[in-house]
Formats: sequence, structure tokens, C-alpha cells
Amino acid sequence: MSDPVLALVMLGLFIALIFLGFPIAFTLMAMGIMFGFYAYYLPEQAFLDNRVFYLFTQNTFSVMNNDVLISIPLFLFMGYIIERANILDRLFFSLQVGLRFVPGSMAVAALVTCALFATATGIVGAVVTLMGLIALPSMLKAGYDQKIAAGVITAGGTLGILIPPSILLIVYAATASVSVVKLYAATLLPGFLLAGLYIAYVVTRAVLNPSLCPRPKDVDGYGVIESLLLVLKAFVPLAALILSVLGSILFGLATPSEAAAMGALGGIVLAIAYRAFTWERLRESVFLTARASAMVCFLFVGSATFASIFGYLGGEQLVKDIFVSLDLTTLQFLILSQIIIFILGWPLEWTEIIIIFVPIFLPLLKHFEVDPLFFGVLLAINLQTAFLSPPMAMSAYYLKGIAPKGLELGTIFKGCYPFVAIVIVTLALTYIFPGLVHYLPDQFFNQAKELPFDPNDKSIVNPDIFKSMQ
Amino acid sequence: MMKWIKAIDIFCKSVGHAFAWCILVLTASTCFEVFMRYVLNSPTAWAFDMSYMLYGAMFMMSGAYAVVRGSHVRGDFLYRNWSPRVQARVDLVLFFLFYFPAVFAMIYTGSRYAWTSAKILESSANSPAGVPVWPLKMIIVATGVMLLLAGIAEVMRCVICMRDGSWPPRSGDVEELDVVLAKQHGNHEGNKP
Repeated sequence: MSDPVLALVMLGLFIALIFLGFPIAFTLMAMGIMFGFYAYYLPEQAFLDNRVFYLFTQNTFSVMNNDVLISIPLFLFMGYIIERANILDRLFFSLQVGLRFVPGSMAVAALVTCALFATATGIVGAVVTLMGLIALPSMLKAGYDQKIAAGVITAGGTLGILIPPSILLIVYAATASVSVVKLYAATLLPGFLLAGLYIAYVVTRAVLNPSLCPRPKDVDGYGVIESLLLVLKAFVPLAALILSVLGSILFGLATPSEAAAMGALGGIVLAIAYRAFTWERLRESVFLTARASAMVCFLFVGSATFASIFGYLGGEQLVKDIFVSLDLTTLQFLILSQIIIFILGWPLEWTEIIIIFVPIFLPLLKHFEVDPLFFGVLLAINLQTAFLSPPMAMSAYYLKGIAPKGLELGTIFKGCYPFVAIVIVTLALTYIFPGLVHYLPDQFFNQAKELPFDPNDKSIVNPDIFKSMQ
Repeated sequence: MMKWIKAIDIFCKSVGHAFAWCILVLTASTCFEVFMRYVLNSPTAWAFDMSYMLYGAMFMMSGAYAVVRGSHVRGDFLYRNWSPRVQARVDLVLFFLFYFPAVFAMIYTGSRYAWTSAKILESSANSPAGVPVWPLKMIIVATGVMLLLAGIAEVMRCVICMRDGSWPPRSGDVEELDVVLAKQHGNHEGNKP
């Protein structure tokens, strides 16, 4: 068996072994070490001196001092703090009052609440369950259609892994070696487009058939000033926090990890302001952060060795050759890769998909002339479906876990379908209008123009010599 | 056997909890660095090295904690439908096949790696402050030892489960919010898949 074929066997075996349910991080490490042992095997070398062990240790250390991944625990910490800041019920209520003249006001309020809160915390499960306890009962009480009520919560809660500053984008940036900052800028417009389409969908449904989303009765007593005050107290601080975190990253005032640290501090201040800060909650957040970061970063430890061995055996080249021999156009390649990712989203979670499968697609991007930034945005949008598309929709299960008795899983699934369709529409729109992705990065990070060169000035080196070096 | 499992659990959990506080130090030191740079206009030389060391130490030392809490992500959409006995059998085999080789590499090669670094008191090349790097490399070995212990506890769990037909309960710890809420308000009919 030739080495590149062996690499494919390694990949196939790994995918089969995932389904045995062993922790994936360790499966990755083991596959890397076993196949690497074969790849680096020298008959005269002692068993323990095989170079794969050294490679593994070195790779582990490279994950430990990776300066992109530092922001993952910091953003997780910020998320856990804000999650516990007793902020969600105020937020939902204030938006409900503030938006009460919009058709389908409660559903729109729920979507906006979800989007904002999910963006701040980035933890889908927490947002969906919290909203399921706060917003779902009040929507159902007001006579909302079960499908719409369930759909907005599952779809809105999932936005947290897309809209920056999201952890998914950091993981992609670390895997694909693109700049986190640029990726944030690139995802901003498509993220807002998706959220906007969600809102437009709900409003349209409410206008077409008002009986689906009746106007709630209990929020009528508020005057203009009272409503404004409510929104000011609940909505503005959190929105300001997110905007300042995001803004300081985009305007280059702080690195993502610095902004995340400031965001975590801001979250603590916010929690104190809402009188929700306790020692116990801080402890919980700290411990959960450690556990969740260990989970994500160990996947990186595993995939670092796996990917190096896969590449060393020539797997990347073989995959590239196979795709090249298929003779696809760029569009066909993009559609094929997005379908593969969509399907992977059923059994797997986004962390595994990005860390394990993105490195396989990456070498192909150059061949098909796809910008890794653009691919990342498409991927991030597509992975929304990993949470939303039945039968393995995690968000639906989160909601079902706390939903009132009358709400069936099937109804929640039906509620998810339109939103899955909107995600796919957004994917298509993003492909048709790539300006959505490129506009903001170009605005923020346009390359400095070349300075005029004066050939008579002896103190300046002729810049052409750099061009000849390339 | 249960006594040993419990002891290892508590040990891994305590170490994980202790190192978890690194995140607070990391938050504080990063904010301090931002403050020094923008307000006092005198950025520190050690902040960058310190940040990745705190991060590295935190997630590595929490690895074993995540193992004994069962929070390393599994591709479990077949696994969760099996009976506990089958789960335990598969896990038992895979712990020996997949888990211990990597742990071995962390301990054996990791200690040579760290020793090479410690012998010359290697320091970071990122700043003139010369922050020592070798303690961070020692963390790899420490993680290996912790993972070894956690693995032994997990293997014993599998053995107990194969004997009794049900998983021995894990000691209590902080839980994700969705798990807590589902427990408090759940309707117990359709929990997570």
C-alpha cells in the first residue's frame, strides 16, 4: 500500500471510529500516533525513539503557546459570566415593550433578544434553554403559533456561533491560518443579513396571517418614555458591551484576546450592576470555562498530530488530486463542499467539523481560487444548519428538554424548517454577492498604497529588488 | 474499586479547579496590559508570554478534569443508544487502544522534552523580559500523569459497569446551564438525543 492511500485509510478509519463514541480528541491523537509510528518507522531505531512521539509532544506544545487560541477561554469566560447575569428576562421584556407595534412583536423581540444574547455568550444550549423558559411560555400564552414560537428561539439562539465575536470563527481562523480580525469583519454583514431575513420572515408571516402572532395584551400600559427607559436599562448596556468588544477588535485598538478579556471584565461589571454577581456564579463560570476550553483545545492537540501525519503520508496531495481529476468548476466545488459539511452537521458538532475536516478542504481552496476568508464565512453560515436541521437538530433538543408538555418535538422540527431554508438562501446570497464578505475587510484593512519612488534619492532602496526576490 | 475512582475523581477535579482560576488571572493581567498601554503608555514586557502560559497551563491541567467529568466531546449518536454494558465494553477496549498511547507519549517523550528545556533554563524569545518557558513544558508531563490517573479511573468505571450493567454515578460538579435548567424544569420525556 502506498503512503497516500494509507493516509486515506487513516482518514476513513477515523471517520468510522468516531461512531464508536470514544472521545474524539483521544481518537485523533491515537490515529496520528499509530499511523505516524508506521510512517516514521526505522528498523534500526528503538521502539520508544520513534520520531512520532517527539512530533506529538512538539505539536502539543505548539497548541499550548498558540496566540490565536488564547481568546477561546477568554470569550468562553465572558459568555459564562453574561449567561449568569440575570439579563435575559429584562432584555426580552424591554424589547417586547419597545417593539409592541411591530407585527409579530413578541417573535421579533425574541429573535432580537436571542441574537444579542447569543452573540454575547456564544453558548447555544444556554440561550435556547433560557429563552425556552422565559420567552416560550409567554408567547404561547399570548396565543402564538407553536411552530413560529419554537422556530424563532431555536434559530435565534443558534446565531451566537455566527455573529462575531463568536468562538467558531476563532476556531476556523486558527485552523485555516487566516486573521481572526479579518474573519470577524467578513462575517459581520452576512450575519446581520441572516438575522435580518429571520426577522423579515417572521414579520411577513405575521402580516399575512395575524392570527399566528396575536398582539399581546399585557404590555399596552407603557408610555413612550417608560418604554425608552426600559430599553435603555436592559438593551443598551449589553449592546454597548458587544459593540465595544467588536469595535475595538475591528478598529485595531485591541487584539481579539485583549478585547475578550475586557469583555469579560465588562460582563462582571454588568452582572454587578444588575445585582446578579455572586461568588458562587463566578466559581461556576471559572470551572465551566476550564472544562469547555479543555474540550476544544484537546481537539486541537489531537488534530495537530493527525493533520501532520496525514500531510506527511501525502494524504492532502491525494485528496487534492482526486478533486482536481473530478474537473469541477469553482461553483460546483463550493456546492459539493457545503453539502458535505451540511451532512457532517448531522452526526457531528461544529468544533469537530472545523478542526478535523476543514484542513482537508484547505489545500483545495487555492486550486479553485476560493478565498479562505470567503470559505470560512460560508462554512460558518452553513454550520447554523448543524443545530437546526432535523433529525439531529441540537437546538430543537435543547428546547424540547425544557418545553411545556404540549409542545412536541415534531412541532419544533417543523418550526425549524423555514429557518433552515433561510440559512440556505443566505448561503446563496452570500455566494452571489461576495461583496457582503469582502466589503468590510476591504474598508478596514485596505492595503497601504505604494509610496512614490524617487529614483534620484540615494537614501531610498529601489523597491523593485523586492519584487524580483519573489 | 469505587473508593479509588472517587479518590482519583476528586484529585483530578481539584487540580482542574485550581488551574481554572488561571482564567481570572488571565483576564486581569490582559486588562492590566491594555490599561498600561493606553492609559499609562508603557506596555509591559511580560504580558504576552504570561497570557499564553496561563492559557496553556489552564487547558492542559483541566484535561484530566474534563475526562473524569465525561465532558470531552464524543461522536455519540450511535453510542448513546447502546446498553451501558456494550458502552463499557467498547470504552474499555478503546481506552487501551486510543487513550494510553497518547498519554504515554506525553509522559515519556514529554519529560525528555521538558528536561532538555530545563537543563538550559530555556526562556521565551518573545520579549527581552526572558520569561522562562521550561515550566510550561513541564506541564505536558504533569498533564500526562493526570490523564493516566483519570484513564485508570475510567477503566475501573468500565469494569464496574460491565459487572453491574449500569454506569457508576459521577460525583457532583458545576454543570452547564442548559443541563441545570433541563433538570429543574424538564419534562423528562425528550431530553437531549
